[in-house]
Amino acid sequence: MSETVTVTIEMEQAWRYASGTAMERFSEGLKERRIEAVSCRLCGRAYLPPRPYCGKCNIRMSSWTPVKDEGELVAWTVMQLPMLDGRTGEMREAPYGMGLILLDGADTTLNHYLAESDPAKLAIGQRVRAVWCNERRGAMDDILHFEVIR
Amino acid sequence: MNRAAIIGTGQTRHARRRDDLSQPELVREACTAALADAGIGQKDIDAVVIANMELFEGRALPELWVGEGAFATGKPCMKIATGGTSGTSGCIAGFHQVASGLFDIVLVVGFEKHSEGHTQTGMALTDPFWDRTVASGALGNFALSISQYMVDRGVTEEQAAKVAVKARRNAARNPYAHLQMPDITEQEVLDSKMLAHPVRMLDMCPQSDGACAIVIAAESKAKKYCDQPAWIRATATRHQQPYIGDIDHRLTSMETLRSAARSVYAAAGIRDPLKELDVAEIYEPVSYAELAWYEALGFCEDGEAGRLIEDGVTEMDGELPVNPSGGVLSTNPVGASGVIRVAEAASQIMGRAGEHQVQGAKTALATGYGVYAWADAMILGTAP
Amino acid sequence: MIREEKIQIPFVYAAGQAGSRFLVALRDDGRIMGSACAACGHVSVPTRSFCPACSESDLSDVELAGEGNLVSWTEIPGRGVFALINLDGADGALLHRLIDSPDKLAVGQRVRAQFAETRKAHISDLAGFVVTGAGP
Repeated sequence: MSETVTVTIEMEQAWRYASGTAMERFSEGLKERRIEAVSCRLCGRAYLPPRPYCGKCNIRMSSWTPVKDEGELVAWTVMQLPMLDGRTGEMREAPYGMGLILLDGADTTLNHYLAESDPAKLAIGQRVRAVWCNERRGAMDDILHFEVIR
Repeated sequence: MNRAAIIGTGQTRHARRRDDLSQPELVREACTAALADAGIGQKDIDAVVIANMELFEGRALPELWVGEGAFATGKPCMKIATGGTSGTSGCIAGFHQVASGLFDIVLVVGFEKHSEGHTQTGMALTDPFWDRTVASGALGNFALSISQYMVDRGVTEEQAAKVAVKARRNAARNPYAHLQMPDITEQEVLDSKMLAHPVRMLDMCPQSDGACAIVIAAESKAKKYCDQPAWIRATATRHQQPYIGDIDHRLTSMETLRSAARSVYAAAGIRDPLKELDVAEIYEPVSYAELAWYEALGFCEDGEAGRLIEDGVTEMDGELPVNPSGGVLSTNPVGASGVIRVAEAASQIMGRAGEHQVQGAKTALATGYGVYAWADAMILGTAP
Repeated sequence: MIREEKIQIPFVYAAGQAGSRFLVALRDDGRIMGSACAACGHVSVPTRSFCPACSESDLSDVELAGEGNLVSWTEIPGRGVFALINLDGADGALLHRLIDSPDKLAVGQRVRAQFAETRKAHISDLAGFVVTGAGP
């Protein structure tokens, strides 16, 4: 086969992304370690992340409900492979624990890191609690990870 | 709605890297094969649909770059980009164009060259306020849902390993398949590297470079060009809410695929899919997903998927062979993978599946799966 | 609330069969190659695997003169002059840059290719075009 040419290019992509009012309120709350969901008056679901419309009922939502920074681990994994961190484009080193967490007061789950990375010590149904960063900027990584409390 | 049928299919050899071909050349290889299979020329094509996830290549506007590879110059051409369902949704879009009476012959081509971009980057560019904090990828998302599914249904790692082995043994009879592992054993799967508990390397699909095309024709043209067209009897597409956390017990419930399947079965008059379908090509990016899809597709009762694979029901010599091609577990150029499902199902109906032909296949199911829980379904048959 | 972020995206571009022949000829011989279509006669540049005019794939490589006419141009302050150039013998135009362009440019002016001294099978092996004379 004749020579084939490939060209490698490193590109930097920049964004400017607007949260919308619901996510703004939620993000501002994180600075104060406050988690709020928005709930639908028809189906009653309390949504995280908050958003303007209920996708099931297709109506506008404006009712806020407090959510605890504690909840139940409903799914988990331990990543054994470095994965790309979408905030930077850098790889996150493995192993690290990750879970779907049903926070008390919410009806949808939150995907976040777990402090525990030993698969033998993780189980569905465990109670977990947020570990907050001291410096908070109003973003999901104001929560460092969740730790198992029992 | 007018009748429409698939009259030709074509695909490239799929591999980790196809540096020997540019994106348009890769697309052309599949399209040329599909036209030859259909026995038509490029002038017979009225419109073109391209399926691709351009973020995976890191290059914008694939319909611009690869359109001429797909004979689209001067013709109506559009792109579908819906994650894993891109290919099946592209086929359904092409079907709509013919069934509506707008066009007589539509060429649908899906492609992906993962080697040219960075798939994880494409996957990570989600909602920056919510999802992007967690480095998860398709692998991590699946692993989370699988942890629930295993508890909900009592599925075991051994049962998932049987799915992984079935796929690669079937792929050994498919010359186009990417992974060629004819001698793979369940023990090898169970001993393969842990990627994300409980998902191991051989439970996952590969990343492939490849393209696949189909030709969809209106009834008069289908009868003119093809002795045994694969008639499109029913299609369905279902989308879902935007975040993984919105979907309760995703693999266990899989409401979208259940709904899509119910819809196409009803339209095609199918009451017992296990008995009435002769072959299925389903979109299973991970071994465990195939088990969950058995339940969602009604091949068995909920909780019986493990038994189905253990009893060999979905093997090549079983009651309902699932993925004779080797499936997504053996070949996954994402934008093409849904088209491959449809093309493989059509080839079975047309009797052109070669060494992985299911003898006498009259009714076939093809499905697509995308992002968290998008689903497509299509029923093909020997009669309209 | 506005969030601004940056991410690195690496990617590889495979030039493929026709694109590789173009880039290798550029690098090794300082030649600009195109493709002539047996079906419709269209001559495209760079080389192609199928004809952009009629989609047929019976194409043969042809060497093009390193000279042609200026079809159109624009100047981007600080970045130079970009131009579409119709090479002699080719249909359509090649997008590239003008080197040392005179103050007064005009459609139809003659231009000649200038090659880079060190070449690496990249479009920049063709450094650009210089204006050599007035148009016809």
